[in-house]
Amino acid sequence: MREIVYAGFGGQGVLTSGLVMSQVAIFKGQNATWIPSYGSAMRGGTANCTVKYGKDTIYNPAQEDPDLLLAMNGPSFEMFYPMVKSGGIILVNSDMVDCDVNVRDDVKVYKLACSTLAQEIKQPRGANIIAAAAIIKLAGDFSMEDGIQGMNDMFRKKGKEKFEAANMKAFECGFNAV
Amino acid sequence: MGDMIKGNIAIAEAAVRAGIKLYAGYPITPSTEIMEYLSKRLPEVGASFVQAESELAGINMVMGAAACGVRALTASSGPGISLKQEGISCISDEELACVVINVVRYGNGLGTLYSAQCDYHRETRGGGNGDYRCIVLCPGSIQEAVDLMATAYELAEKYRIVTVMMTEGALGQMMEPCELPDFIEPKKHPWGFDGKYTYKKIGIFDRNSMDEAVELNKKHEAIKAEEQRWEEEGLEDADYVFVAFGLPGRSVQGAVKELRAEGHKVGFIRPITTWPFPEKAFENVNKDVKGLISVEANATGQLIDDVALTIKKVIKDRNVPTFCLPCVYGIPSMKFTKEGLHKIISGEIKEAY
Repeated sequence: MREIVYAGFGGQGVLTSGLVMSQVAIFKGQNATWIPSYGSAMRGGTANCTVKYGKDTIYNPAQEDPDLLLAMNGPSFEMFYPMVKSGGIILVNSDMVDCDVNVRDDVKVYKLACSTLAQEIKQPRGANIIAAAAIIKLAGDFSMEDGIQGMNDMFRKKGKEKFEAANMKAFECGFNAV
Repeated sequence: MGDMIKGNIAIAEAAVRAGIKLYAGYPITPSTEIMEYLSKRLPEVGASFVQAESELAGINMVMGAAACGVRALTASSGPGISLKQEGISCISDEELACVVINVVRYGNGLGTLYSAQCDYHRETRGGGNGDYRCIVLCPGSIQEAVDLMATAYELAEKYRIVTVMMTEGALGQMMEPCELPDFIEPKKHPWGFDGKYTYKKIGIFDRNSMDEAVELNKKHEAIKAEEQRWEEEGLEDADYVFVAFGLPGRSVQGAVKELRAEGHKVGFIRPITTWPFPEKAFENVNKDVKGLISVEANATGQLIDDVALTIKKVIKDRNVPTFCLPCVYGIPSMKFTKEGLHKIISGEIKEAY
């Protein structure tokens, strides 16, 4: 089973980033859970969610030992980097995380300028999809095609297919950037 | 497999499919999505939705619908359910059928927004004045919550009692795949008001409380005999048996699986009904068990009382120690449960009873 924490400011779209991951897993016939942050985080400020997926039963849907962390801003990195499992992976949005990220020897840290990349591909609201795709690549469980199909399936069911081309562009950008 | 769906939304849609004709309530985190969804959905199926001026008004509207013999629903969280107690006690007294959903959040008074199970005593004992109980269903997954929704009404109508669906903030807010049930078209109950003053009026001084008490006890005994629901595993040879419900129950199942793989003889009972408490499950517990352990999301330990009372009924020749692992709020991690067992074995955590 894989466990991933997605964290950032409210409005950065981290809850959707996590949802894309969980939907891709479901689309490929696996189990998945998605659980958002609680308490005051729901009222602005930081937001985070934990996604778990795999072929077996998921007992505890809440955070236990994250294999991967997406930190879209500095406070999220500071809050969650100590919790990542040894041997795990952290992806930081280098546009927003300017602190020293080489704080653990036992995890691999990737930097991705999600917002800059989103501007470059002219999808300024696509930073969270870029990050979601990069996480899917780093987790290594699903191909880019699986990821795109799962994501499109999710947005179609939400009636948001008009953004499909833009989302696919952002997804490809993020997947190929790590 | 179904698509990812949020717990509150899935439960609300399951209520629609169970044939509710009225939702009346007042919003509160973390239950609000239930009524937000129903505000749009119920008019589509020709049912009524009312955002009441208060919790008390909401439960009284539910009482009105129940008196007319149709399925009615209200939902709230701990503080809102406190305000509904007068209505729930009255509905119980009138022996009407309805479902109340409590998406539990942590704390006393207004409390917090954290997910918890701190309303256990209130829901399982009957939180209003008087001498009644509600049937309390405690799902451990979104699928189970959805599957229990029609059951909640069937039980309420079979026994003319209030059924409380006690979920948790986290279950309401999380998403997982879920298959929604088919639509049911329930029949209007013949005992409902028909608008013609068919039934004899019974005033407060016409009541025979002695006879009513006999009937009430008979009803409670029938529910205890027939309606216990639970999931269990590994009880027959267990040194220690965990008892936990809802999302903590599910997390404990995972911890038990890992502990078994590590060579510990442990089992679990996951109550699905917390009233009636699944006493029958305890009859399957190893008679040489070293202890029972409740894992619960509250500060002081509440479920532990029922665990201790029940094991006393089943194993009478000695006092089986019972231990409590309260995680205060949230969902206890599997690590928490496993470490708890080690602390109990080492003597660091003392028995509660």
